[in-house]
Amino acid sequence: MKRLLATSAITLVISAAAAHAESLNILVEGGGEMLQKAVAAQFTKETGIDVNFTVVPYQGVYDKLSAEIASGQSNFDVASIDVVWNAKFAAHLERLDDLFTPEFSADFSPALLSDAKVGGHYIGVPAWANAEVVFYRTDLFENADEKAAFKTKYGYELAPPANWQQWRDIAKFFTRDTDGDGKTDFWGTDTIGAYSEEWMAHVLQAGSPGVVLDAENNVIIDNAAHKEALEFYIAPHCQDKSVPENVTEIGWGEAQNLFYQGKTAMMKFWAHAYRMTPADSKVNGKVGVAPMIAGKAGIAGIPGTWYNVIPSTAANKDAAKKFIAYAVKHNAMGIEAPLGLAATNSAYESYAGKPGYEHFEPLLKTLAAPATRGRPMHEHYQEIVDEAVLPAVQKALSCEDDADEVLSEAKETIEDILN
Amino acid sequence: MIERKKRDLGGTVINIFALLLVLSYAVPYVYLLMTALKPAADVQQIPPSFFPNRITLENFRTVLATPSLPAAFANSLLVAVLTTVLSLVLAVPAAYVATQYRRSFTTFFLLFALVTRMVPAVSLGVPLFTLLKSIGLLDTTLGLVLAHTSTAVPLALLLMAAFFEGLPKELEEAARMDGCTRFQAFVKIILPVMRSGIAVTALFSFIASWNEFLYALLLTSEKGKTAPIVIAEYNSVYGLAWGPMTAAAVLYSLPVILITLLLQKQIIGGLTFGAVKG
Repeated sequence: MKRLLATSAITLVISAAAAHAESLNILVEGGGEMLQKAVAAQFTKETGIDVNFTVVPYQGVYDKLSAEIASGQSNFDVASIDVVWNAKFAAHLERLDDLFTPEFSADFSPALLSDAKVGGHYIGVPAWANAEVVFYRTDLFENADEKAAFKTKYGYELAPPANWQQWRDIAKFFTRDTDGDGKTDFWGTDTIGAYSEEWMAHVLQAGSPGVVLDAENNVIIDNAAHKEALEFYIAPHCQDKSVPENVTEIGWGEAQNLFYQGKTAMMKFWAHAYRMTPADSKVNGKVGVAPMIAGKAGIAGIPGTWYNVIPSTAANKDAAKKFIAYAVKHNAMGIEAPLGLAATNSAYESYAGKPGYEHFEPLLKTLAAPATRGRPMHEHYQEIVDEAVLPAVQKALSCEDDADEVLSEAKETIEDILN
Repeated sequence: MIERKKRDLGGTVINIFALLLVLSYAVPYVYLLMTALKPAADVQQIPPSFFPNRITLENFRTVLATPSLPAAFANSLLVAVLTTVLSLVLAVPAAYVATQYRRSFTTFFLLFALVTRMVPAVSLGVPLFTLLKSIGLLDTTLGLVLAHTSTAVPLALLLMAAFFEGLPKELEEAARMDGCTRFQAFVKIILPVMRSGIAVTALFSFIASWNEFLYALLLTSEKGKTAPIVIAEYNSVYGLAWGPMTAAAVLYSLPVILITLLLQKQIIGGLTFGAVKG
C-alpha cells in the first residue's frame, strides 16, 4: 500500500512538473510579435504555460519554417504565417477543424474563414487581418472652394470616393500644377505598378468569382471582370494622367510616401497605416479614411491576413491549440500594439467609436463585403504572380498593349506553371 | 622635359582612374550614410535626393533604442571572432602542410576545399539544422560558430595556401639546421613571416562570419540571434523602415572598417606578398 502511495505521489509530482514545464515556442515576423505579446503574457498568467517568441524578418518566417519542416523536427509549436503561404505549408500543418465551432467562426469575416481552409480542412486561425481602404486628405475634401469647383465641373458633391467613376473624377480633379511652372506636381492619386494585389481587388469589385484562378483552380484571368478591372486600373495613368508617371517604380512604400509628403490627394492603402502617419508628415491630422471603392459587384478587397498554425512536428500541440483559441478570445488585446490590428469582428467592434480608430469601420466594411475574397489558395501562387500576373499588369501599364492580349498571354503562362 | 611631362600626365590619368574606382565602391556606402541621416519623411522622397535636405540623427536614436540590437551586436562580434580564431587554427597549419609537403592527396585536399565553396549555403542549412539540433547546439553561439567555421575554413585554407606557395622552402630547412623541430620552425620562423597573409585571411574570415545571414536565420532563434537578422527585421510586410535599417547598417559596418584600418599595413603587405620574391 505504502509502495502504491509512493508511486502515485511520484507520478503526480512528475506529471505536475511536466505540466508546469510546458512552454510554447512561437515563430513570428517582427511586428506580429507585438500584436500577440499582451495576450501571451495573460495566457501565461492564467495557464502557467510560458510563451517564447522567435522574431525573424518577413521572409525569414517562410525560410525558417520550411527548413524546420524539411528537417522533420520543428522547434516551433505555433507559427504566425502570411495567408499567401497557407497552401504551401498546408500538408505539414495540424488540422484545426475542431476549433471552428459555429460560435467561433461567427466572429470572423467569411473571406478570412475561407482563406483558413486548404483542401477542405482548417489549417490556420486568423491572428490579425488587414485590407486596403481609401485614404484621403480631409483638408482638401472639406475645403469649400474645392467642393464648389468640383460640383461645378462634375455635377455632384465632392466626397470620399465610393465607386470607380468617382475615384477617377476626383483623381483628375486634384491633379494640378501648384507652383505654376507648367508641370504637374500634385496628383489625385497613385497607381502601384510594383505589386498586383490592388488590381486584384478591382477584379473582385468587377464581379469575378475569384482572382486569377476559380475555386476549381481553372485559370480565369482572361474573364470579362479581369479585363474590365485592368482597364480601370491603368486608366488613371494611361488616360487621365492623374498619377505620377513612374508607375512601375511605385510599390506600397512609395505610394505611402507620396501621400505622406503631400503629393497625392488620396490613396488606396492597408488600413493599419491610419495610425502610422509620421508626426512630421505634411498630412498629419488631415487624413480621412473610407471603405474600399465599389465596382459592379460592390465593395471588395483582398484580405491581408496572418494565420496562427501548428506545424505537425510541434512538440506541444495541445498547448498550442489552447493558445490559439485563447488568442482569438482575447483578440482585441493586440489593438494597443503599434500595428493596431486584430482579426475578429468583435475585437474591431470593441474599438468602434474610439478616437484614433476611425479606420476600423471602413476596414470591417471592406473585409465583410460579399465580394471580398482571398487570393488563390494554391501552392504555386507566388510563382503565378511573379511570372504571369505582375508582368501582365506592368505590360498593361505601358499603355501600348491591349488588355485582352495581355491577359491571354498571362493565362498561357499560368497554365504552363500549373501543368 | 617631355619625358617628365609624359610621366606627370600618366600619373594624373592613373590618379583619376583610381579616384573613379574608389568612387564606384564608395557611392553606395555614402548613399547608405546619407539615407541614414535623412528624416523619416524624406527617406523615400519622390524624386529621390542623394543628399539630405535636413540632417537628423533620429534614425540612429531609433536603432539604439531597439531592445534586441545590443545583444545581437555582441553575438555577431563573439561569433565572428571565434569563427576567425578557429578557422585560422585549423586552416593555417593545414595550408602549410598541403603546400610545403606536397603529395597527390594534398592537391586533392586543396581542390576539395575549393569544391566545398561551390556548394550553395542554402543546401547545407537543413543538414546543419538537424546536426546541431541532435547535439543540442541550436540557438547557441557555439553552434553558429561551428556552422560559420565550416564555410570559413575552406576560404582560409585556399587563401593561406596561396600565401604559403610564395614561401621559400629554405626557410624551414635553415631553422631545422639551427636545431628547431618542425613544429618549432613553423611556430617561431614561418608564422611570423606569414603575419601579413594571416592578417588578410583573418579579415576575410571575420567579414564572412560578420555578414552571414542564412545560417544565423536558420540556426538561431532568440538567444543566439545576430545583428544581420535584427537589421533585416526593419523590413516587414507592413513597410520597410529604410531610415533605421540604413542607420543600423552604418553602425554595423563600423567595426569592420575599424579593423581594416588597424590592419591596413599587414593587409597591404599580405596582398603584395610574394610579388617581389627573388
